[in-house]
Amino acid sequence: MTTTAGPHQHASADDPRVMLDDQIGAFEPIPPYPPRTEREAEFYTLGDGEMFLNMGPQHPSTHGVLRVVLKLDGEKVVDLDPVLGYLHRGVEKLCENADYHQVISQVDPLEYISSLFCEWSPVMAFEKLLDVEVPRRAEYIRVLSGELNRIASHALFMGWFALDLGGLTPILWSFIERDEIVEMLAALTGQRMLFNYFRIGGVNGDLNHDFMSRLGDWMSRATGQIESNLTLLNENEIFVRRARGLGVIDTETALSMCMSGPNLRATGSPFDVRRAHPYSIYPELDFDIPTRSEGDSLARYLLRMEEIKQSLRIIDQCLHQMPDSPIMAKLPRLLRPRPGRAYAAIEGPRGQYATYAISDGTDQPFRMRIHDPSFIHLQSVGLLMKNNLIADTMAVMASLDPVMGGVDK
Amino acid sequence: MTALSRTWGRLTLPGKIVFTLIPLLAVLTAGLIAFIIVLGGPIWDLILANLWFIRFLVAATIILVITIPIAFLNIYLEMKVIALMNLRVGPDRVGPWGSLLSVVHGLKVLIKEDFTPTGADSIVFTWAPVVTYGAAVMTLLVIPFAPGMAGQDFNIGLLYFFAVGGMGVVGLLMGGWSSFNKYSLLGGLRSAAQIISYEIPLTLSVVGLLILAGTMSLNQIVMQQSGWFTDWYVFRQPLGFVIFFIAATAEANRTPFDLTEADSEIVAGFATEYSGMRFGFFFFAEYVNVFIMSALTVVLFLGGWNAPFDIDALVNVLNGVVGAVIPSFHIATPFSIALDPGSLGIPLLFVIGLAPLIGTLVLAAPFYLVRSSMRWWVALIIGFVLFNVVAGGLTFAWAYVSFDWVAGLVWFMAKTFAFVFLFVWMRGTLPRVRIDQLMGFAWKWLLPAALLNLFVTAAAVVIVGS
Repeated sequence: MTTTAGPHQHASADDPRVMLDDQIGAFEPIPPYPPRTEREAEFYTLGDGEMFLNMGPQHPSTHGVLRVVLKLDGEKVVDLDPVLGYLHRGVEKLCENADYHQVISQVDPLEYISSLFCEWSPVMAFEKLLDVEVPRRAEYIRVLSGELNRIASHALFMGWFALDLGGLTPILWSFIERDEIVEMLAALTGQRMLFNYFRIGGVNGDLNHDFMSRLGDWMSRATGQIESNLTLLNENEIFVRRARGLGVIDTETALSMCMSGPNLRATGSPFDVRRAHPYSIYPELDFDIPTRSEGDSLARYLLRMEEIKQSLRIIDQCLHQMPDSPIMAKLPRLLRPRPGRAYAAIEGPRGQYATYAISDGTDQPFRMRIHDPSFIHLQSVGLLMKNNLIADTMAVMASLDPVMGGVDK
Repeated sequence: MTALSRTWGRLTLPGKIVFTLIPLLAVLTAGLIAFIIVLGGPIWDLILANLWFIRFLVAATIILVITIPIAFLNIYLEMKVIALMNLRVGPDRVGPWGSLLSVVHGLKVLIKEDFTPTGADSIVFTWAPVVTYGAAVMTLLVIPFAPGMAGQDFNIGLLYFFAVGGMGVVGLLMGGWSSFNKYSLLGGLRSAAQIISYEIPLTLSVVGLLILAGTMSLNQIVMQQSGWFTDWYVFRQPLGFVIFFIAATAEANRTPFDLTEADSEIVAGFATEYSGMRFGFFFFAEYVNVFIMSALTVVLFLGGWNAPFDIDALVNVLNGVVGAVIPSFHIATPFSIALDPGSLGIPLLFVIGLAPLIGTLVLAAPFYLVRSSMRWWVALIIGFVLFNVVAGGLTFAWAYVSFDWVAGLVWFMAKTFAFVFLFVWMRGTLPRVRIDQLMGFAWKWLLPAALLNLFVTAAAVVIVGS
C-alpha cells in the first residue's frame, strides 16, 4: 500500500509509507480554520513570551478525554480554552429513539462512576409522567444502593485528587474501598459498573443474602477504614499546603455558574436537593448537610469526606427502617404515558442530576434533556484555572470532580 | 534457530551492537589473558610499570558495570516496596518474587524501537542520555565502598563529586530542549531550575562538616568516623545532615521533588519523547542517582563502611570481664579467625568431600524421622538446602571477621540501602510540591539554615579549638 503525500507533507526517511508534516507549526494546537468568534481570535493570538500547550485529550490526568488548550507564560496559565466533544455519543437522541424501559440502559454510562444516580432522575421523571406510586421498600432500596454508590464515588474522588497532586498510594487505597462497594452492588444488581438496576415503578431485584452479608461485613469496618485512608492525606503538610487556597470560588459566583452539590456547599451555601426539594424517603431520614465556607479545593475535598460519613448514617437508618412490601409497582409491559412534561432532580455525588422529559403519548419520550452536573461544573474551569501554575490546573479540575462521560453525553 | 534469528531481527541497532560487543569483548579478554600468560616476560614488566593506569581502567570498568545491577536492584526494590505500601502484590511473575522483572525490563528497552521525533535535534537528542548517565557513573568513582575499595581516592573527592554530579542536569536540559516537545521543554527547564537551586544548600550543608574534617577526601572522612557510632558526623552536624538529605532528594529528582517528570502535569517531563535504550539510560541514571545520593549521605554522615560498634573494644571488654574470673582467658585484638587450610594436608580432601554428604544427611534426618509422610528424597533436598544455608552462613561469618573489605562492604551496603528504602518510602507516601513552593523552600529555608549551620560550626571550632 502506498500513500500519497498531502500538500504540506513529506515521506518519512524510516518508512516511506508514513507521511510527516513539513511545517513545524503543524504541531501547534491552533485550529486549521480562521477564527469564528472574537473570543477565538483573541485566544489564539500569542502575546509576548507566551506559548500554547495542548493538554489532552490523551494526557495522563485529564479525567477522560477533555482537551484543554493552555496559553502559558512560563509556568503560569494566562488563559485557557477547553475543547469538548471527544466522547459525544448523542445519548439524549438515543433516549428519544428508545422506549421508556430502554432509556435506563442508555443513560447508565453517562457518569460511569455513579451510574445509579444517572438512572434515578429519568426513572423519577417517567414515574411523574405515568403517575405511579413507587412501593416503599423499593424507595428504601434505591436510597440504600444510591448512598453506597455515593460513597464509592467520593472514595474514588479522594484517590484521583491525590494522584493529581502527585500522591501514588491514596488512589490504590481508595480503589479498595470502591471495589468492596462495587462488589456488593454487583451482588445486588448483577453488574459492577453500569448497574441498570432501577426500573420505572421500583427496582429490578430485592435485597439478597450475598449483598446483605457483604454490606454488614463492610459496614462493621467502614468507618475505621475510611478514617485510616484520610489520615494519609489530611495530616500531610504538602497535600494541605497545595490544596488550600487553590481554585477559590465564592457563593455568588458559584451560583451564577450554576454550580450545585459539594462544589456549591464548599462555598457555604447549604443547598442540597435531598433537603431543598425532598424526594423519595429522604424527608424521613435523619442526616446533616455539611457545609464549609472556604470555597477552595481543600474545602471541596474535606466536604466530600464529610458526606461519606453522612451517607454511612443514611445507610444505617435504611437498614433499620426497611419495610416489607413489593419492590415493583403494577405497570403494563408497554408504557404509554399521557402527553405532558415532567422534571425530576436528585442530589448525586457531583451535584444536581436532573431530567426533563416530554411525552407525546407514544412509547418513546418525545424529548429528553439531561442536566449533568459535570458539564455544568466544567464551565467554571476557566475562572478557577486562570492565573494558576500548570501543576495546579489539573488539581483544580480534579477538585471539581467531573466525569467526561457525562460532560460529552 | 528460526526463533533466534527472528529475535535477532527484532533488535534495534543499539541492541545488536550490545549483543555483538559483549561476546566479542569476552573472547578478546580471554585471548589477551592467554596471550599474556603464554608470552609472559616483557608484557608483565609493561603492566607492572603502568600499574596505576591499569588499576584505574579496571576500577572504571567495574564501576561502569556495577551500575547496572545496582539500578536493577533499586528498580525492583521500588516496585516491590511501593506495591506493598499500596496494598498490592507487585511483581511476582519473573524469577523468585518477581526479582528478575527489572532484568526483563532492561532487555525490553534494548529491543524496543528507538524513536526520534520529527523536528528533534537528533545529535543533542542522542547524546543527552549519555551525558546524564555518564555523570551518574563518574560520581560513583570516588565513593569508598569498603577499606581500599574505591575507584579513585582523590584528595578533592567531594569537590569532584559535586562538580561532576552537577553535569547530570546538562543532559536533562539537552534532552528537554532537543525533543521538540513543550512538555519536554518544561521538564528540562524545571530540572535546571531545581537542581541549580538545590546545588547551593547541598554544597553549603557539607562545608561545616569539611571544617571539622579538614579534608575533602571521602576515604579520609570515612576513616575519621571509625569506632563507635557516636563518632559519626551525623551527631556533630545534625542540621547539616537534614539539609543535605532534603537537598539530595531534590538533586536525585525524587518525590516530593520529582517535578521534572511529574506525570499528572507534564506527562513525563524531559523523557516524554524518549523510547528504547535512550529512555533506558535516563531511567538507569535516575536509579543510580538514588543509590549515589544515599551512598554519599552514608559516607559523609553515617560512617561509611564503619560498623556502628568497635569490635576490638568489645573484645577487650570481654577479655577484662572473663579474664577477672579465668586468668588464662585472652582473645588477641584485632580479632580474627586464623584459617590455614594447607596445614590439614590430605585429610582436607576428605573434609571437602565428606562434609556436604554428612551435613546433608544429618540435617535431613530429623525431617525424615519426625514426619512419617515425608518422602526420603524430599527430606534429602531439604537437608541439602539447609546445609547450604549453614555452610554459606559459616563462610560469610568467617569472611566477615577475616577480611576488612567484606565487613566494610556489608555495612556500607546495609546503610545505603536503608537510605534507598527511605527514598522509596517517601515516594509511596508524599504528594508532589509545586514549583514555587520548591523554589521558596530552597531559597527561604534551606539556604539560611545551611548558612546558620556553617556559622555555628565555624564559631564552635574557633571557640573550642579544633
